[in-house]
Amino acid sequence: MKQITILSGKGGVGKSSITASLAIALSKKRKIVCADCDVDASNLALVFGMNTDDFKMWESISTNQKARVDLSKCISCRKCASECYFNAIDWDDAKKIPVFREFGCEGCGVCEMICPSKAIELYDVSNARIGYGKTKYGFVVVSGQLEMGESGSGKVVSRVKELALNVSGHADVMLVDAAAGIGCTVIASVAGSDYVIGVCEPTPSGFSDLKRALSVVNHFNIHYGIVINKYDMNPEYTRKIEEFAKKKGIRVLSKIGYDKCFMDALVNLVPVIEFSPPYKEIFDGIVRALEDESVFNR
Amino acid sequence: MKIIGITGGKGGTGKSTISTALAVELARKGKKIFLCDMDADCPNDHLLLGIERKQECAVHQRIAKWDFDKCDNCGKCAKVCRNNAIVCVEGTPPIFMAKQCNGCGACVIECPRDAISWDKKVVGAIYKGTGFGVDLLSCELEINEPVSEIVVAKACEIIAADKEKYDYIIVDTAAGTHCDVIAALGACDAALCITEPTPLGAHDLELICKLLSRMNMDFEVVVNRYEAGQDEIVARVISKYSKTIFARVPYSKKIMIDYSSGIPVKHKSIEKITAWVEGLI
Repeated sequence: MKQITILSGKGGVGKSSITASLAIALSKKRKIVCADCDVDASNLALVFGMNTDDFKMWESISTNQKARVDLSKCISCRKCASECYFNAIDWDDAKKIPVFREFGCEGCGVCEMICPSKAIELYDVSNARIGYGKTKYGFVVVSGQLEMGESGSGKVVSRVKELALNVSGHADVMLVDAAAGIGCTVIASVAGSDYVIGVCEPTPSGFSDLKRALSVVNHFNIHYGIVINKYDMNPEYTRKIEEFAKKKGIRVLSKIGYDKCFMDALVNLVPVIEFSPPYKEIFDGIVRALEDESVFNR
Repeated sequence: MKIIGITGGKGGTGKSTISTALAVELARKGKKIFLCDMDADCPNDHLLLGIERKQECAVHQRIAKWDFDKCDNCGKCAKVCRNNAIVCVEGTPPIFMAKQCNGCGACVIECPRDAISWDKKVVGAIYKGTGFGVDLLSCELEINEPVSEIVVAKACEIIAADKEKYDYIIVDTAAGTHCDVIAALGACDAALCITEPTPLGAHDLELICKLLSRMNMDFEVVVNRYEAGQDEIVARVISKYSKTIFARVPYSKKIMIDYSSGIPVKHKSIEKITAWVEGLI
């Protein structure tokens, strides 16, 4: 199976809209599965018009542990509070006991290691939910959602991709929709990819954020191409992005013009390729460009 | 002095556009303004305002370091590292992946030969600049470092130290609801949630509303590009939090062009938001 990851750095440039329509275009000739790896705010399933009932399974998962204390064993030595690098343990001076903060614990296990009275143990936290369902377009979408305030999102992304692999029924292609930004979830999304598509809009922010996101991809030595969305919004920046691509030998897979249709399609919960006929050719064009890049037989 | 967080959940809804517009509008009225771009992954406020930034400081995180003369390749360090930053093949020295190390110190405590001590790595930087009468602080994560929150936490320290110099501090957060956003909002007195009138905007806004309610923070909701979608989708979600749409920013070509050419957005909705900020007690 080939993993193609779609990222952008900047949010709101059309990642999920483009992922959804590209998925439909790809699914005409290949067996595919989609993985929504924006586990902070997942909404690829929404773009496909799926609701909770369309999901076959939602389960709580644990990719993280947290520390807790058995106060009956605590000898008030204070070592845990002073050694915690993440300031997740406060010290209650009056009661002379450690107070474990709800958030902040990274589950590193240092407090458990150094507690002389073995009063501290690590336990599994349910920090996310993952699930999958079939779209009306015939393929499966896997989603994940981190629980509010919990950490370990990079590992949740890996679990979403694992589940996608398991439920895909030998799909040829896994399309991964990454989160905005360039932090842990994006790094985990890019890891293991065979090809990356960087989506950007022609603005100073869009270009700057795309370059930052592509630097992450460079670290993994993965090939990539770019899609310029709303290219006609700012011709000067579109030219800058094209020059940048040319200089670096990056293929511009497609330039998509600004069209209010994108927003209307979102509001109507239908991917733009299904909402407006001209987009079939645009996304088929991206599929051909990917074939031309030998993405499917690398 | 008040600290206002600009957030929203979904990316690209206009957080930075409104943060910069609000900062400039308040500065124009003679207020001392500190605009803090806490989107360490993709900071953009300096680009929107055309401000040249200078590095204020690097942000470091401690990491482990080995004295291989003392190391006897026992492999215990790798066993206690829950971040998979240390790989040990029996009988050979440990291989250390600095990017993965979160500085917890488990290996340092575990090593029976005292072979591990502390070093540090750069995880990001804080920049500063000035423009339109606004002092700007900008966070920036080092490429391939996973934890933006560390850079944001450093910025929060700077805010805490400098806050009395300002009338208002505008904190522009990253997209999402993750630890970096929570850390940035932790410094704030009130928040503005910027969203777009689509099911996606509403979905992510609900996550932020949940978070802010849990943090017990006062907030208002602003719909950007309001006429391009259906803002009743947003109204329905926020009614659960006893909120109505506070302000609407239109989807105008002029705003888009200003935005992409480094001109702060002017619109009566920004004036309304400014008045709300000035009215905060």
